[in-house]
Amino acid sequence: MKKLAVCGAALAALWASAAAAHHSAAPFDFQQRVTIEGVVKEFNVQNPHTYAVVTISDAKGTRDVEYEGHSASNFYRAGYRRDTVKPGDKIAILIAPRHDGGDGGFINAFTVNGKTVGFGGLSPSTGKPVADGASGDAAPPASK
Amino acid sequence: MSNKRMIAHARIALSAALLAVCAASSAAEKERPDFTGVWTTYREPGQTGFGGGFGRGQAQLPFTAEGQRRRDDYQKLLGPERANPAAYCVDYGMPTMMESAGGYPIELIQKPDQLTIIYEVEGEMRRVYIGERQLAPADRLPSRHGYSKGHWDGDVLVVETTDLLDGVDQSQHPHSDQATIVERFSLGTDAKGAKVISYEMALTDPIYYTEPVKTARKWAPLDGFIIPYRCVDEFWLALLDLRRAQLKAGKPADARMSDVYKAREAKE
Repeated sequence: MKKLAVCGAALAALWASAAAAHHSAAPFDFQQRVTIEGVVKEFNVQNPHTYAVVTISDAKGTRDVEYEGHSASNFYRAGYRRDTVKPGDKIAILIAPRHDGGDGGFINAFTVNGKTVGFGGLSPSTGKPVADGASGDAAPPASK
Repeated sequence: MSNKRMIAHARIALSAALLAVCAASSAAEKERPDFTGVWTTYREPGQTGFGGGFGRGQAQLPFTAEGQRRRDDYQKLLGPERANPAAYCVDYGMPTMMESAGGYPIELIQKPDQLTIIYEVEGEMRRVYIGERQLAPADRLPSRHGYSKGHWDGDVLVVETTDLLDGVDQSQHPHSDQATIVERFSLGTDAKGAKVISYEMALTDPIYYTEPVKTARKWAPLDGFIIPYRCVDEFWLALLDLRRAQLKAGKPADARMSDVYKAREAKE
C-alpha cells in the first residue's frame, strides 16, 4: 500500500462539507488519500452507497477488504458503466482511508482495465485532481 | 360537397383552431419565466466545490432556547456513525431537498398551474400548486415536504410552504411542525449569458428561531440527465437474496427485513 502525499486544503474542505451530512463520513479520513491495488472480488454499484470487496496483498498478507463508495447515479455520472468492473479485474483505487487505520476506505477514484473513474477528486494514476471533463459533466462531486 | 372537400375544409378549420390555441398558449407562456429543465448548483467563475447553501453548519442559526434544546437532543440520537435519514433511504424533506444535499441535480417541470420539483436522490418530489386551484387547509396531510402554494410576484415565483411535519432531522435547518418556508424563484442570466435560477429561502419558525432564517443560492442548467436513484429498492432485492440463500440451504424462505438491516449494519 503506497501513500500519496495529498492533503490539499481546498480538497479537504470540499470533502469535509460533502461528507459531513452522510453516514459514511464518520469512519473515513477525507483529508488523506491512499492508493490500494488488488483484484476485484465483488463490485456492487448501488444506493445509497457502493460496496466493493477487493483482494489485496501486502506485508500483512493476502485478504479480502471491503470498500464503500458513492451512489450508483454518481458512478454513472462519473463515467462508470455496467461492464466497467468485473470480478477478477485488477484494480487500483484511490481511497479516503479509515480513521482507525484499519483495512477499508471510501472510494474516491479508481483505474481498471485502463479506464479511470474519478469523483472530482484525485486520479489514482497521477495523484492529481481529475479534470472536470473526466468526471462526466458539470455536476459537482457528490457524496451521500 | 364531396367527402374529399368536406375533409379538406374540416382540416383547414381544425388547423386554424389549433394554431389559435397554440399561439394563445405560447403568448401566455412568454409572460412567465419557464424553470423547466435539469439544474445543478451554479458555481461562480473560478469557484470550486459546492455553491449554494451547501456545507454551512448550524452554528450561526438564531435558535430559541427551545430550538437549541431540540437540536441538541436530536444530535444525541445520531450515534458514532452519525446516522441520517438519507442513509436509510428516507426522503430529505424540506428544506434539505432544495439545499442539494449530496450535490445531486434537480429537475423542474413547470405548467401554468403547477411546478413539479424532482431531486435525483430517491426521485424525491414536491409539487407547488400555482393559482386558484388549491387544497383546502383542513384537507392537507402534513408531510416532510409540506403543502406548497405558489403565486407570481411579477417575474418571481413565490412559494409558501406550510403543513410540514416536524423537521428535527433536517441537516442544516431543523424546524418544527409550525414552520413556514417562503421561497422566491427567479430566472436570469450570468455574465456569459447562460441561464441561471436565483433562489431565496426564508424559514420562519417561532419554536426554533428568534428570527427568519434566510439563505440564497443559484442553479445552472445541467447538460445531462437525471439518473435513476432508488435506494429503497436495494433493501427489497437484498431480502430476496437472503431468502434465495435460505432455500439453497434447504431452509424455509422466511428472512425478514430486519435481517437485511442486520447484514448491512454488520458491514458498517
